[in-house]
Amino acid sequence: MTPDERKVDENLLAKMRIVAARGFSNSAQGLSQMIGQDLSVHSPDVDMVPLADIPEILGGPDNDAVGVYLRVDGELIGQIMLVIPYQQALEFCDMVMDVPSGTTKEFGRMERSALAEIGNLTGSFFLNAIYEITGLSSHPSPPAVMVDMVGSILDVVIATMGAISDHIMMFKASFQIGDRKIQADFWIIPDPVTLEKLTVAEMKKE
Amino acid sequence: MSGAMSSVGLGELCISRDPTDVLIAFGLGSCLGIGMYDPVTRVGGLIHVVLPEQKAGNDPNTAKFVDTGIPLLLGKLVEAGAQQSRLIIRMAGGANMLVSPGLSGTFDIGTRNINMAHEVFKKLNLKLQKEEVGGQVGRTVRMYIADGRMTVRMMGSQERDLGAV
Repeated sequence: MTPDERKVDENLLAKMRIVAARGFSNSAQGLSQMIGQDLSVHSPDVDMVPLADIPEILGGPDNDAVGVYLRVDGELIGQIMLVIPYQQALEFCDMVMDVPSGTTKEFGRMERSALAEIGNLTGSFFLNAIYEITGLSSHPSPPAVMVDMVGSILDVVIATMGAISDHIMMFKASFQIGDRKIQADFWIIPDPVTLEKLTVAEMKKE
Repeated sequence: MSGAMSSVGLGELCISRDPTDVLIAFGLGSCLGIGMYDPVTRVGGLIHVVLPEQKAGNDPNTAKFVDTGIPLLLGKLVEAGAQQSRLIIRMAGGANMLVSPGLSGTFDIGTRNINMAHEVFKKLNLKLQKEEVGGQVGRTVRMYIADGRMTVRMMGSQERDLGAV
């Protein structure tokens, strides 16, 4: 990787946007079935992002949040991170556990387990969609749930990718659930080797 | 200097001798926040290092790595009027945020950052006065240039002193 990598191949980005749109839509469907509520995907996109800017993307590194993190292994290698602002994650738990809004007050074992399951499901559905499009198969690791400041949660991704380059390719989208407007940011961060594989992969249509 | 809060982002360092300045490194996970302060000339600096060592490339002016960042911070402080023998050095961060079985361990960068920092301090003959490192918790670190006070705050808790000057 060279400093010129930010001049990323626009063709690759265009191709990855197709993969991302399909992947996020698949994830949303899975999640929607799980919680039994309508769920929409907002502004799915793929972009090259400077590592140092990542904590700012989520409203600042000092905000409290919940992060669900998965490693991806197999023919594709990368990382998946679901980040939800603290208060909204409490509400998200209420929905998933099917209890009245405002019931969840903290993230105990049950709540963390529910969030882990959400990460697992959204990640798996995304990877399935990639497999359907490209024929490249991969699987997610068990999820790790972090309840902490945004900056420290994202250090996990930054430290892993920072040794490789100063910019990363990020697939990002946010989900909105029903009229409750829960913002959950969903990121896929492929390793550079995986990007090469995706570049040469034959894309299947619907 | 503007006399305000200065955020020290990933791989950045900040030096100040303006007593109204507060240097802040927000949300340190596996990253380290290292502060140095000269109580006589009242010049201080804070660095937000990300990774233990610079493996690719050879850029001594990068604050991203522990091995290049500490000498860089030291050099800039001396340039700004600090004396190495008087420096009060404190450090926080270096957590291992991943606690899931099968995920942690293999890349515990927090611990590697801490070990590298200790190594570099020893090599440069710098005495670390106080540290609050490791664990599984994120930290926000502040340095008050007026009196060299350094503080740590964790999620849901109050800001508290990390060793007074």
